[in-house]
Amino acid sequence: MYRLQSIRKCYGSNVALDIEELTIAEGRLYTLTGANGAGKSTLLSILAFLSPPTSGEIFYAGERVDRNHGPVEEYRRKVTLLHQSPYLFGGSVDDNVAFGLKVRGIRGEERRRRIDEALDVVGLRGFRDRKARELSGGEAQRVAMARALALKPEVLLLDEPLANIDRETTGLFETVIASLPAQGTTVVMTTHDPDHPGRLNGESIFLEGGRHVLRSLR
Amino acid sequence: MDFLVSSFASALRLIGSFSPDVFDAVRTSLAVSAGATVFAALLGIPLGLLVGLSDFPLKRMVVTLLNTLMAVPTVVVGLLVYGFLSRQGPLGVLGLLFTPTAIVIGGVLLAAPIVANYALASVRGADPRIVPTALTLGAGRFLAVGTLIGEIRFGILAAVIAGFGRVISEVGVAMMLGGNIRGYTRTMTTAIALETSKGEFAFGMALGIVLMMAALIVNLFLNLLQQR
Repeated sequence: MYRLQSIRKCYGSNVALDIEELTIAEGRLYTLTGANGAGKSTLLSILAFLSPPTSGEIFYAGERVDRNHGPVEEYRRKVTLLHQSPYLFGGSVDDNVAFGLKVRGIRGEERRRRIDEALDVVGLRGFRDRKARELSGGEAQRVAMARALALKPEVLLLDEPLANIDRETTGLFETVIASLPAQGTTVVMTTHDPDHPGRLNGESIFLEGGRHVLRSLR
Repeated sequence: MDFLVSSFASALRLIGSFSPDVFDAVRTSLAVSAGATVFAALLGIPLGLLVGLSDFPLKRMVVTLLNTLMAVPTVVVGLLVYGFLSRQGPLGVLGLLFTPTAIVIGGVLLAAPIVANYALASVRGADPRIVPTALTLGAGRFLAVGTLIGEIRFGILAAVIAGFGRVISEVGVAMMLGGNIRGYTRTMTTAIALETSKGEFAFGMALGIVLMMAALIVNLFLNLLQQR
């Protein structure tokens, strides 16, 4: 799905990420581990096409991503990033889950069906008309997950999706995340839990000081 | 104290009798203030958003300049525009001096920095996750900024209302550029200044009450929108 070559991301003189080569295969689940400041979020941001690397090349689905020749929105619409502390827009749950679908021109019955399906998956059936800002923290996390799932992205990037959520939601998210590769979605998630690769049947990528130092296959 | 009470009672009677002088001053004030606010919003909102959302050299200087412009005395703006619009000035041929249009021009210069600063403060105070969230859901840069504006709409609305408040309450620009012509360029504030100096305290107070009511209605409208 991705091939990263000689990717460096620098903030001033500080090198946040320095990866010689990294390949992420289609339809697989990867956990991205490493200490705070190891470059996990920086890598996710690059994979989400939100932030360009300072140098190096990214290939997505075999194509070289060149920001100087054409917009990256085309790639961005195939990939969705779910932040650790997601932001919900003002308005209803429906407005939030519909946002990305509207951007993609999905309307009418198809849009309604996708919203219902996504809310069903995260256990929030019947929440469509609730105000997003009045939800509990756990419910808000679930809406953000539903918002990402409704888009059926080729790649789902998750920044510590299981941190700061209750046990019930953790169990639900683990089940949902583990089921995605079978549906053809590539998943890359950051985590501090060393058991996650095993529990989610995934592959582990370990970063240290911005460098990709270890990869283990389960 | 009796003077104030009797003046207040006379003021209420004047308002209740729909005095043409009061009505004209209110109508002119609302018209020029609304016109100036619309143009100030069209200038100030994009300027505030642009400064807030972009990084460029001298940005701090631009922000300092915008802050300074908020504090420019109304008579200085009046003086500057007077210089341009007076018969000897570069725009004198347009014949705009002592017209409602001249007051609108001065009002725009007064209100635009306020609208821009409020809009800038709204952008700075906005949740930094809004734009990345919109982008990662597939929005282009333009739509992401549109989403940000939607999320800070109450701050933007407050910016517009603050601009309106600045224009409707000022007296220097209206006096210098409008000339306080009865039934044409006489606004509530210039009428208050004139009538009070003539000893018509009740008339001034009547306009003062209407002015306060206009401010109250605008703020009630803002509160209503925020509660929706």
